[in-house]
Amino acid sequence: MTDLLTLLVQQSVNGVYLGCLYVMVALGLTLIYGVLNQINFAHADFVTVGAFAALFTATRFGTKVLGLPDTGAYLLSMVAALGAGALLGLAINAAVFAPLRERGDELRPLIATIGVSVLLENFQLWLLGPIPYQFDSPFSLETIRIGRIFFTAQSVLVVVAAALAIVALYAFMKFTFLGKALRAVAQDRETAGLMGINPNLLIALTIVIASALAGVGGALLGPVLVLTPFAGATVIVKAFAIVIIGGFGNMQGTIIAGLLVGVIEAFTVQYLGSGLIDLVVFVLLLVMLVVRPTGLIAERKEENV
Amino acid sequence: MSARLVSLLIAILVLAALPWLLPTPYWRGILVLCAMNVLLALSLNLVLGYTGQLNLGQSAFFAIGAYVSTILVKTYAWNFWLASLAAVAAAGLLGLALAAFAVRLRGHYLAIASLGFAVITYQVLVNWEKVTEGVRGIYGILPPVASTTGLFYLVAGITLVVYVLIDNLMRSPVGDTLRAIREDEVSAASLGVNGALWKAFAFGLGAAIAGLAGCFYPGFVGTLVPDAFNIIESFTMMAMVIVGGMGTMIGPVIGAIVLTFLPEVLRDFGEFRLMIYGLALTLVVLFMPGGIVQAWRTLLRSR
Repeated sequence: MTDLLTLLVQQSVNGVYLGCLYVMVALGLTLIYGVLNQINFAHADFVTVGAFAALFTATRFGTKVLGLPDTGAYLLSMVAALGAGALLGLAINAAVFAPLRERGDELRPLIATIGVSVLLENFQLWLLGPIPYQFDSPFSLETIRIGRIFFTAQSVLVVVAAALAIVALYAFMKFTFLGKALRAVAQDRETAGLMGINPNLLIALTIVIASALAGVGGALLGPVLVLTPFAGATVIVKAFAIVIIGGFGNMQGTIIAGLLVGVIEAFTVQYLGSGLIDLVVFVLLLVMLVVRPTGLIAERKEENV
Repeated sequence: MSARLVSLLIAILVLAALPWLLPTPYWRGILVLCAMNVLLALSLNLVLGYTGQLNLGQSAFFAIGAYVSTILVKTYAWNFWLASLAAVAAAGLLGLALAAFAVRLRGHYLAIASLGFAVITYQVLVNWEKVTEGVRGIYGILPPVASTTGLFYLVAGITLVVYVLIDNLMRSPVGDTLRAIREDEVSAASLGVNGALWKAFAFGLGAAIAGLAGCFYPGFVGTLVPDAFNIIESFTMMAMVIVGGMGTMIGPVIGAIVLTFLPEVLRDFGEFRLMIYGLALTLVVLFMPGGIVQAWRTLLRSR
């Protein structure tokens, strides 16, 4: 292989790894949007909480109390992050989304979740301080080499975890009764309600799943991020861009857009410098909004007066 | 005398008296900040409250006002007022640029697009070091008037003028048109309202006013760094509009005053300050959906 080709393949591999991390975060946003037509700004902080929950589970509990090896402790910490995310999802649904649902307003839940975000960030700041935490994944130390392409076991873990999450989500949506009911609620909440589906329960379930994904995303992002109480905010603006590029509420679009943004980011770092990542991603977003405002995969919606 | 004229006179008297009621330099500084925040809240309310456009990028225009005016004064030795005029025009033009996207988008798409607009502006400020000095920042910026009290009178006076202008505009048919777009754009279009045109008008005017607020900020603080225009700033402006009561004239003014002074009053709580701020924002949205203005009206009616 020529050097250029090696470089291209290597950066694409890095990009897919990054993209999978973003997909984990963006999927939750798009899920909530698809069913509820709402944006959860505190999603960013669920990622951060997931990362910290994972960090403390791995270092304080997994290795010290249970005596697990580093790798086992890290896998356990992902479960803890999932749980932490799910609990936060339950809480934000009960506190914000459920009470504000009836008013049919897109602005107020958005503002309320911004308030929750400020609260969570500063609570963590008080608890954990502003100094970045070191979160090492034992899988980051294992390097795998295929030909002249290098990647870490961590990136394999991330891709596998993202793939599992996507497959599980698809299977759930396609083959289970709850998944079908969920799609029904997303399509038409009132009619679904008339068919004997409890939309409130399903909306709660959606938010819990979405938030659990954010938690796991945090556990996987932890070793990549500068882990402070504000770490999630750096990821979430990109996740928003991904959700829009993919088309709000469209899972396939979000996955494709997530991988695309990951690859673009990898090449931006290679050719333009890491300072310009956000600039490139958001210029892409604005271009996308001009060319295809409905996202990569368009869904036709009629306008009701 | 009409009731509006009386309230205007009272407002002028209160503004004139304020620096003497809060005589320490620290509190006078907070007053200047408060006047700027009122101006910003008014600018966002025009777009968000009256025209119903979910704009999360207002901090970008505040930033453009601040940077354009400062660079023209410091690098090109322009007169402050001339530079401010150029800065307001630049912010207004950028508002029209955002409107080019905004007229095609609505709801959450617009929210994220405008958020992206603010992120791009922030990134340009950080990366275009030749002009903006990047994260190093610009130092030693002088205010247009030396004393804090003078600066307060200047900014508060301009804010009052802007308030009266917007108030009159909203009472005119233009206000009706903007409100019609907010309530139902499709129906408004069926009555012959050119939605794109008027939305662009609201975005441009709102951006120009935010840019005007930006002209006074660098001189007040003395330094200019991109971090002052983080997207959090947009959220803060939005919080002011919502907490006060959006779509009303006095609401954003009250919201800006409350949310400027609340962190100062809470300073004794130290680290809990911003936690309380976040909690308060959530609780207001949950329990006072129309903000302080609506809560006050409900209270009056129930007595």
